[in-house]
Amino acid sequence: MKALLLAGGRGAHMAPFSSTRPNPMIPVGGRYVIDRTVSMLYEAGINSMKLVVGHRPQMLTKHLSPEHPTGMAIHFIDQGKQNGIGKAMLKARDQFSPGEHFVLVYADTLTASNIISVILQSFSLHNEPTAAICLTRSGEKYGNVYLGKDMKITKIIEKPKLKAGLGNYVLAGVFVLPEAFFGFLEKSKGNMEAALKHLIKKQSLRASIWGDDWLDMAYPWDILKANQMVMDQWKEAAIHQSVELSNTKIKGPVRICEGADIRAGAVLEGPAYIGPGSFIGHNVLLRPYTSVGANSVIGHGAELKNCVIFPETVVGRLSFIGDSVVGEGVDIGAGTMTINRTIDKKEVKIKEGRTLVRAGLNKLGAFIGDGAVIGASNILDAGSMVQAGKKIPHNCSYPAKR
Amino acid sequence: MCGIAGIASLEDISERLVGSIRNLEYRGYDSCGIALVNGSKAIRVSKNIGTVDEVGAKENFSKLKGSLGIAHARWATHGKVTKANAHPHTSCGKGFSITHNGIISNYTNIKAGLLKLGHKFSSETDTEVIVHLVEEYYKKLKSVEQAFVSALRDLDGSFAIALVTKHEPGRIYCARFESPLLIGLGDDANYIGSDFSAFIQHTKNAVFLEDGEYSIVTHDSHCIKRISTGETVSRPVQELKWDPEMAQKGGFPHYMLKEIYEQPQIVQNALDIDRKLILGFAKIALEKSRLYITGVGTTFYVAQLGQYYFSQYAGLTPMVISSDEFRFLAQVDKNCAVLALSQSGETYDTLTALRHAKSMKATTAAIVNVMGSSMARMVDHLILQQSGPEICVISTKAALSQMIILARVVLEVGVMNKRITLKQAKTFEKEIGQLPGAIEKILNEKSGFIHSIAKTHSKIRHWLFLGRGRYYPIARESALKMKEVAYVHAEGMPSGFLKHGTIALIDDRLNSVIFTPPEEEKQLYELTLSSAEEIKARGGYLLGITFKSRSKEPLPFTDQIVLPEAPPFIAPFLEMVVAQLLSYFTATTLKRNIDRPRSLAKSVTVA
Repeated sequence: MKALLLAGGRGAHMAPFSSTRPNPMIPVGGRYVIDRTVSMLYEAGINSMKLVVGHRPQMLTKHLSPEHPTGMAIHFIDQGKQNGIGKAMLKARDQFSPGEHFVLVYADTLTASNIISVILQSFSLHNEPTAAICLTRSGEKYGNVYLGKDMKITKIIEKPKLKAGLGNYVLAGVFVLPEAFFGFLEKSKGNMEAALKHLIKKQSLRASIWGDDWLDMAYPWDILKANQMVMDQWKEAAIHQSVELSNTKIKGPVRICEGADIRAGAVLEGPAYIGPGSFIGHNVLLRPYTSVGANSVIGHGAELKNCVIFPETVVGRLSFIGDSVVGEGVDIGAGTMTINRTIDKKEVKIKEGRTLVRAGLNKLGAFIGDGAVIGASNILDAGSMVQAGKKIPHNCSYPAKR
Repeated sequence: MCGIAGIASLEDISERLVGSIRNLEYRGYDSCGIALVNGSKAIRVSKNIGTVDEVGAKENFSKLKGSLGIAHARWATHGKVTKANAHPHTSCGKGFSITHNGIISNYTNIKAGLLKLGHKFSSETDTEVIVHLVEEYYKKLKSVEQAFVSALRDLDGSFAIALVTKHEPGRIYCARFESPLLIGLGDDANYIGSDFSAFIQHTKNAVFLEDGEYSIVTHDSHCIKRISTGETVSRPVQELKWDPEMAQKGGFPHYMLKEIYEQPQIVQNALDIDRKLILGFAKIALEKSRLYITGVGTTFYVAQLGQYYFSQYAGLTPMVISSDEFRFLAQVDKNCAVLALSQSGETYDTLTALRHAKSMKATTAAIVNVMGSSMARMVDHLILQQSGPEICVISTKAALSQMIILARVVLEVGVMNKRITLKQAKTFEKEIGQLPGAIEKILNEKSGFIHSIAKTHSKIRHWLFLGRGRYYPIARESALKMKEVAYVHAEGMPSGFLKHGTIALIDDRLNSVIFTPPEEEKQLYELTLSSAEEIKARGGYLLGITFKSRSKEPLPFTDQIVLPEAPPFIAPFLEMVVAQLLSYFTATTLKRNIDRPRSLAKSVTVA
């Protein structure tokens, strides 16, 4: 069976990271989301994948070409204009032949274990179109499904109002569909919801309940949740044989990759990830759920907690980075603090354009886009968004946009 | 539900065939059998009641030999659990043998016709008519395929069928309509099965039959044709990748959730149970001077709920005793009736209680799910639940089914006792009829909220489950669910009891759930809310399970699950479904072993 992966979207709410990369190229637990998905597909027995790219396509094509280590055959399809899921799918239509079933995956969803294996098993029970469904705290953002007899989906309600009082299972962004589905898509002018409704009416769509953790990476703080979800699966520490440790305290599942340079006095509390070729200075404190990308430098005495640092980034000495995400090639000057709570310990709210978005978290730090430069001795307010490539002078407290 | 399997090969496949039905036992385990073909010699059929291993020992499965055969794991629907009713069934001339999963709805008509033609039936099953019908057509048409297809065209209902015949010893004929069937293609053999767990150990290549199709399978070939037209269908071979247990869960992550979702159907099955059976027991309950209801664990709480329904709607308060304590408390004599509740019908404590009652000459009755079980065989009056096999160790659907059956008994007794009018009884029965839809609505629309609450509070180690009146046994049963599946300490108690001691426990590390009746039950509703206020006043977390109300007054709950309005008679059952999901999601968040919790077994057959 082949897979169709949709990775063309811009990540509407993923600023400041969306300006420089597509969502699947965000690293969590030390691996890009796309690599997790490809491995999952491969482990589930799929060895041919059609990947629709659109936003910043070169990043994906460069990262995945020419050969994926799994041996997965990857064929790229350019979405061109970014105009929705259905239209993106239709671009891939000629890759599939009549009568064939394929796996459809939205590339910015993430699961704690292999959802592809599970849906394929459910599919093989009846050999009928199948949709993975799951429960989430924010069901109002997704298609809410009604189940009838024998797991047949009888109805889908798109993004119901909160008032409606619906707490249904929602579509989890993973399907097994017949080639004929493209016909439904065409009829509905590329409207995915309408096409699914057609499928339910004319044929049938069965559900496969996904009972494990599931996440749709929509907002920058979802990167932190995704990172936690992945790291919660880790049971033990793994330290590459090339790594020398002296006077380092390690607690819990800490993963240290090849060529990492860990200096004396570091305290590493897992779950944590230290990428290949990275540098962890003297007396650095890594607290749980910290992920340091490849070739990054964490200066002497810095404290990192629940944060994702992309590759090639520098965190200057005596800094504190907490509940934050730091992009690739970022330079954070010495003595920079992220503030990760409001003064009255209430939920941190973030301004997105004109609307205030509730992250649902009481601790939230800064989100720093790729290539930003932050001068020494800065204080970044809770919920700060630093645009990619922005330069903040030394000694200049950075206000959160609110 | 039953399971069918078949294998066509040139080598001996008897052991593999037994393995196939062992893997299908989850579809039915009250009896099983196999039929082996050895050239044009007579077909060898071995069958009996019991599990595959029990029957294997009785019938010496290990001594059987054959290169082609079919097999069946049965869950009785038509006809009792007897050796004669077990599949495969064989035609009068012993030339054909058949296994079947499904229900032939027009079998009485067909049977009458065949009886006239001189066919002799050896079982009470609907299945047997098919094999005689094929034999009859074969006499006229002299072609097995034509006879098979002609017979299929006469059948109404649902079926997955496998047929072997000495006339064509290298072939298995099979067909499906609304019951599952697929073909597995192996290197040295081909297989058929109700699902792929029948043959996944031998091959991963499968072809799916669709409704209205039949197939002829040999050791190295298969073809698929339409029953109606005979035209050949081409169907691609699919590679299956998966573990058999996944197949059995049918798209659900756990049996527990699957069985929770089966409850709408199970309520319907309980309503479809012959009224004569219900009435029969109602008469016993009323005639005898004392009625005991006994069960243990969940079934004890079911009995307790029954006690409240008896009291409220039938003006009768039966004695309810946990069966492990029965010997020490019950005063039983010939003027007593003892009703036992057990899913498996093998629960040691309850069997002991029944034996004690029998020895004291009491009239015994039981509500049991497994036909042919020890309890089913020993009681004077038996009501079978028709809940289908319950695999998860934690009982959900079987318990609800027992509650519905008890409620039906209560209504009959209530009318006879003149506590309620016939009209009222009819209304209540209609209300039970609304349950399947109402449960479906809860499963569809409330799962997300219950899941969120369970996730938020998964670290809480102590829970109180509170309710008054009929909601008290529901609270106790729900607390037991939390304990068994999530390994979280939970106590169920009457909410009025709270202030007499337990309230001292309330703090931020103890959560409470309160089962609130609909507003119409005014007194119960208000008393329940006053208990809720007591908890709120002490700053404890309180989850209210409640129904949509007309009054706008804020309720004293920290969180609430609001269910659509429902008649008071069925309201407790709906709240129990919410609590089932709460325990289930707490357990999944805590990554518990859902279907096989530590230290527990499906049927406790020891003291």
